[in-house]
Amino acid sequence: MEKKEYDAVILGGGLAGLMAANIVAAAGFSVAVVSKVFPTRSHSAAAEGGIAAYMMGNSDPNDDPDFMSYDEVKGGDYLVDQDAAELLSKKSGEIVSLLDAWGAPFNRQPDGRIALRYFGGQTYPRTRFIADKTGMALLHTLFEHSTGFKNIEYYNEYYVLDIVKEGNNVNGLVAMEMKTLNPIYLKSRALLIASGGIGMMYKHTTNSYINTGDGQGIALRSGVALKDPEFVQFHPTGLYPSDILISEAARAEGAILKNNKGERFMAKYAPHKFDLAPRDIVSRSMTIEIREGRGFEGGYLGLDLRHLGKKYIMERLALAYDAAKNFSGVDASEEMIPVRPAQHYFMGGIDVDTTGTNHDLNGIFSAGESACVSVHGANRLGSNSLLETVVYGRETGNTMVEFLKTHKNVETNSNVEPIIDAAYAYIKRETGEHFGVLTEELRDIMWDNVGIFRDNDKLAEAVSKIKDLRVRAKSMYVTDKTSNYNTELFNALETRNMLDVAYTMATAALNRKETRGAHFRDDFPERDDKNWMKHTITYLAGDEVKISYKPVTYTRWKPEVRVY
Amino acid sequence: MEEKEITVNIKKYNDKDGAFWKSYKLKADKYTQMTEVLRRIKSEQDPSLAYRASCHMAVCGSCSMKINGIPSLACRTIALQAVDEKNEINVESMDYYPGVRDLITDIDVFYDKMYKVMPRLIADESVLMGENEQRMTPENQTEVWKFQECIYCGLCVSACPSVKEDEQFLGPAAHAKGFRFVDDVRDTKRSERLDLLMDSAYRCTSCYMCYEVCPQDVQPVIAIKKTKNYLDQYKGNTPITIMARKHDDTVENLIETTGKIKESTLFLKTFGFGEAMRDAIDMLKSGKFKYAFEKDSNVKNMNEIKGMMGEKK
Repeated sequence: MEKKEYDAVILGGGLAGLMAANIVAAAGFSVAVVSKVFPTRSHSAAAEGGIAAYMMGNSDPNDDPDFMSYDEVKGGDYLVDQDAAELLSKKSGEIVSLLDAWGAPFNRQPDGRIALRYFGGQTYPRTRFIADKTGMALLHTLFEHSTGFKNIEYYNEYYVLDIVKEGNNVNGLVAMEMKTLNPIYLKSRALLIASGGIGMMYKHTTNSYINTGDGQGIALRSGVALKDPEFVQFHPTGLYPSDILISEAARAEGAILKNNKGERFMAKYAPHKFDLAPRDIVSRSMTIEIREGRGFEGGYLGLDLRHLGKKYIMERLALAYDAAKNFSGVDASEEMIPVRPAQHYFMGGIDVDTTGTNHDLNGIFSAGESACVSVHGANRLGSNSLLETVVYGRETGNTMVEFLKTHKNVETNSNVEPIIDAAYAYIKRETGEHFGVLTEELRDIMWDNVGIFRDNDKLAEAVSKIKDLRVRAKSMYVTDKTSNYNTELFNALETRNMLDVAYTMATAALNRKETRGAHFRDDFPERDDKNWMKHTITYLAGDEVKISYKPVTYTRWKPEVRVY
Repeated sequence: MEEKEITVNIKKYNDKDGAFWKSYKLKADKYTQMTEVLRRIKSEQDPSLAYRASCHMAVCGSCSMKINGIPSLACRTIALQAVDEKNEINVESMDYYPGVRDLITDIDVFYDKMYKVMPRLIADESVLMGENEQRMTPENQTEVWKFQECIYCGLCVSACPSVKEDEQFLGPAAHAKGFRFVDDVRDTKRSERLDLLMDSAYRCTSCYMCYEVCPQDVQPVIAIKKTKNYLDQYKGNTPITIMARKHDDTVENLIETTGKIKESTLFLKTFGFGEAMRDAIDMLKSGKFKYAFEKDSNVKNMNEIKGMMGEKK
């Protein structure tokens, strides 16, 4: 089997992975970026609205980084580690300047400075944007910047099977070239998991088809903890029926949610912030409206942009306009866009501190959506995911540089055959369960039972059903026996990852007996700071999820009632 | 929602069996995207079907293929809008790139062209050190963004006839990418970039296929035309750009002196006597030579034209 050695291996070619790759490579270390897609196909490209940043001399005169941190802490319903939020705010301005210097074409003000707009949950406007394709433009900027480095090697369209461990140390990972199914052992002393989210395990999601929790799955299987996996964000405005994201930028620019009576119903649920209340609140309000019969036939609500005028819509919200036109046949300048909530973001993730370090394995790091630094807490604010990927991608890159300076390579050549055999077993098996059946069942269970409104019965049922699916997955097989870009095999491997991650998510959700941010329990509708102001830490041990807790880090903001 | 049964004919390919067509029947409603059609075929009927897809909202550029013979993104194609009168759709892999499996092609040749144009902004050192702030007018941002919107889908190169004929032509996408940096006021490497792009720009035949197929309306051919506008600033010389300069000078001179473009003179001055003769023979053969003797009348308002040309200089 082919074997290559690098100082650092980075799993994921999205914003977090590429930012770290640029930093580690600039320090002179060799880097391999492994992704199952060409980097610009990463889900970062789908981020639309913008990136929040306090920029000195180019922000609201009343704003400062502390307001920004406060917004994050409150937005996250006080499950945010406040030191992590403060770091995020403090570095937000300089990271946007860096992206600008690397070529990101931010929208401008008439005087040539970077423009800004409001987003949900912000006290002052802070969102910087590139039309409504901010993620795509930033992703291209970072990827293109990285092409200037000779010491970054790309393994595009390589699927990662598992992490290689030697005792308590990371010793690289094993991947498979998708085109040929040839395995490759990429040995390294530092491993960054920046593999993005988990959306495909939900029936309705704004996520890309590739978001299958691969990084979280392989982490769990090598004994690494997921933090707060019960927290899943549902975006209020998924386009009906395709669940394509209609950016929060639409509401930020003045679009209004309306029910079938034409009422601006958010006035009832968030009398101060209206349609720009945080996403968990808007999604719940919408679900209530639909449930109580004030939705349109088919189960959706209207997003009204008409008063903005076609010219303005085309300038600022071109993607939203195009999406509505192409995928729902609606001209947003003349009709309301049909929208309903859909899974959007995973607040939980690989347990790391503010340096991006995980403490379960020596040499493992994580950044971006696959990580949980606890800047988003129980609910993420819009424009903060892009910010997290680049700020913590850079922080983690710097941490890895320090780690590489002080740590030698693990000498041992680990035995990686069992990892490859486990993957090939799906091909060798002649009968059994098919990935498509298991995936569809999982997507229904997660949407119905681990969704916007949860309770003990639904969650207990989900845990038991997923447990059963995991048993059935042991006999999963693929009908395609070729080694010629066998996508069926990779779908099976993705299903294995999704099931492992979903199992911890449902179990943690059943365990948390309170309502906080996006985790809404019908049977425990209040926040319970006395018992639950703590992070859930989950390990996967065979067929059991082991749960422990970590305290939330406070610096200055005491919990208060969260109204908008 | 009302559903209709459709037949999807997919040209499958693998190393062992080669290429063959296979048909699938399934139901679609008026919103069903072709990416969803493919996902359902794979999940419910043929798990071996291989294709690329990621964002399903036309920003990642994964799902490039030919649908009913037209280079398209599957996600941007609504099944019921694409069916013919028999409710059938034909799906194949893109042209030009080597096939790998079913709808998946190897587009490394596309990426290689993108890498060739130094696709990254090189800002001033003081900016990189954080000592200086970069400003950019909203107008410049709009122009740069237009060409930056390329999503690396590869459709334009797959549809471009010049790329197939001329290995030295960088192709439409790389030109859009390259020009995006030429045009960016924050960049410091314009002259190096023109060195990379100018010769290749004149290898484009302006057939507008890239303009037709681009799912993002990037208009690469316009980027190529705009690159040519920088010919004055280009320091190098290649056989093609020498000819281009002659062409530009002759056009200018002809307009200034006669008020019109005299094709025959332009041809002679640009390509020289030998080439002009060869083409004259071709024209004779095709029976078009008679047009060379068409009489044309003189331009009357020469002063106005001279004035305008003077303004330009």
